[in-house]
Amino acid sequence: MSGAADEAIAETVAPVPARANRNPIAARVGLPLLVSAGLLVLWHVAVRVSGSDLFPTPADVLLGVVELARKGLLLKYIVASLFRVTVGFGLAVLLGVPLGLLLGWFQRLFYAFNPMIQILRPISPIAWIPVAILWFGVDDRAPVFLIFLASVFPITVSAMAAVQNIQPVYIRAARNFGLSRLDLFRRVIFPATLPQVLTGIRIALGVAWLVVVAAEMIAVNSGLGYLIIDARNAGKRYDLVVAGMVMIGLIGLALDLLVRQLERFDEVRWGYSR
Amino acid sequence: MSLRKTVVLSSIAWVILITALHTALNLNLFRSSRKSEKTFKVGFLPVTCHLTCPVNHYIQKHLKGEGGFEPIRFNGWPELKEAFLSQYTEATFILAPMAMKLREEGIPIKIVYLGHRDGTALMVHKESGIFRIEDLRGKKVAVPNRFSNQRLLLFKVLKERGLSFKDIDLVEMPPPDMPAALYSRAVDAISSGEPFMGQTELDGYGRILYLTKDVWPGFISCVLAVRDDVIAKDRPKIQALVDGIASSGVWLDKTMDNRMQAAQFVSQHYYNQNPRLLEFVLSKPPDRVKYTNLNVRRPDFEEIQKLGLEAGILDGKAGFDDYADASFVKDSATVEAFKFTDPESVQQGRGRGVIK
Repeated sequence: MSGAADEAIAETVAPVPARANRNPIAARVGLPLLVSAGLLVLWHVAVRVSGSDLFPTPADVLLGVVELARKGLLLKYIVASLFRVTVGFGLAVLLGVPLGLLLGWFQRLFYAFNPMIQILRPISPIAWIPVAILWFGVDDRAPVFLIFLASVFPITVSAMAAVQNIQPVYIRAARNFGLSRLDLFRRVIFPATLPQVLTGIRIALGVAWLVVVAAEMIAVNSGLGYLIIDARNAGKRYDLVVAGMVMIGLIGLALDLLVRQLERFDEVRWGYSR
Repeated sequence: MSLRKTVVLSSIAWVILITALHTALNLNLFRSSRKSEKTFKVGFLPVTCHLTCPVNHYIQKHLKGEGGFEPIRFNGWPELKEAFLSQYTEATFILAPMAMKLREEGIPIKIVYLGHRDGTALMVHKESGIFRIEDLRGKKVAVPNRFSNQRLLLFKVLKERGLSFKDIDLVEMPPPDMPAALYSRAVDAISSGEPFMGQTELDGYGRILYLTKDVWPGFISCVLAVRDDVIAKDRPKIQALVDGIASSGVWLDKTMDNRMQAAQFVSQHYYNQNPRLLEFVLSKPPDRVKYTNLNVRRPDFEEIQKLGLEAGILDGKAGFDDYADASFVKDSATVEAFKFTDPESVQQGRGRGVIK
């Protein structure tokens, strides 16, 4: 468990701070742009060479995005998807973090609930769609529920692992100082687990955004996932399908960059510089 | 600023911002969901088999100021069925054998009217060597659902030529994915409701192996179904819906101009498709799909049920009187078309050269 969690940290935390200073900003911005441009050209050429009539070129996709923006649908759909992810993911954080910390601290609770969590965790949100419709109908609540389900387990598990991985010396020292239970939690456990909890939250945010398409397969009438499903129904509008994919990708990138900003705070950064 | 302060403040600001935006931009969503507690919801898919649902809604809205019901568009059969089972929709357009199957399984569902007649094709790739039903042997054929009438139709035509499902490779696939699957030749033949079949023809890679009207005249794929308790509680609303569908059907079949008007407003306001798709399948040929003669008749359903039993998807636990209620049907001779012309659609149709 702890090994996996450490790996997850190592994987998601790029060693930016140490090396960043040596690389000029031009390289950090220029290189990814260069790679993207190269891939776009490759995509264009591949479509042309294969002579595909159905698969759109990057230019077709751009026109599709422009068309959506002109109709006012782009902003509408982005807002709808972000709203559902905000609510579903927000609920997952509010429930998952305390739950994970509790399960990590109290061994018996862990024994009691961990198997159930591990059973529920691998079930894909797509499998929950029928249940979500039966429970919530087809308005905003059903996709929110699916997004909540997808993100609550990674958060809970990482918080649980974070508590279990605390170095015993911290706890012993705190006990020697005679800290009360509440203080122990506030001044030792919470700060000690914060970096790892945040990593879990970051992974979960990625997952939450990932399932937006599946969640919006239900008959909601807005959202980027809906855009993709709707474009499939609309006959030969694969440009809009890819436009939806591109928008989801770009917003995912923005979300990730945003959450990474949290790692700049001292309260978190110490956890990564081991 | 400290971490805690930053996170708390920015989270609150973000939640307020996104909620406000969502409310402002998608407000109609909230409004309709609040109002919808009282409205009568009817589920449908963006296919021509369900065309009378949006046509009826649009015409009623323009004649009376309100549609009389709320059409809810779904994107696939499972979601449509589940919304009906969870009592989210009061009535729904649904595959006839699926409605029968649900009745066998004890769901209080009743077929009260038909949605259309004909309107299905079996398409093969233009360059394939499939020219007769017999050529399908060993080929991969996609149908929408195991309870679809397209599957029963295929069962019927295979049987008539001494073949069976064992001789072909049958796969289930959502209709919207079928054109791309045929284009890339991931499957050899596809069969579902229009406009997805017409689309392959329109885009130049599909060829018709058969149209339903040629192999099973009067073919029924989708029906209007309601729950028993809705019949007991909301009889007048169901009657109004059935009458509206009947009048819409007669309106659609009365003139080609009416069909072309429907192609415009349905594409734009309900299906979100390119109008040329509906223009094509509603006119080439004109009897590709029909919207008259929609009465619930015992022999039609007993024929479907017999095939369903042979194909092994039904078990015969429910009879015609269990799964159908013909009491909403009026004599066809008395059904009159809506007196309706939509100036906007006529103008668009003229612009597109489909209305003179």
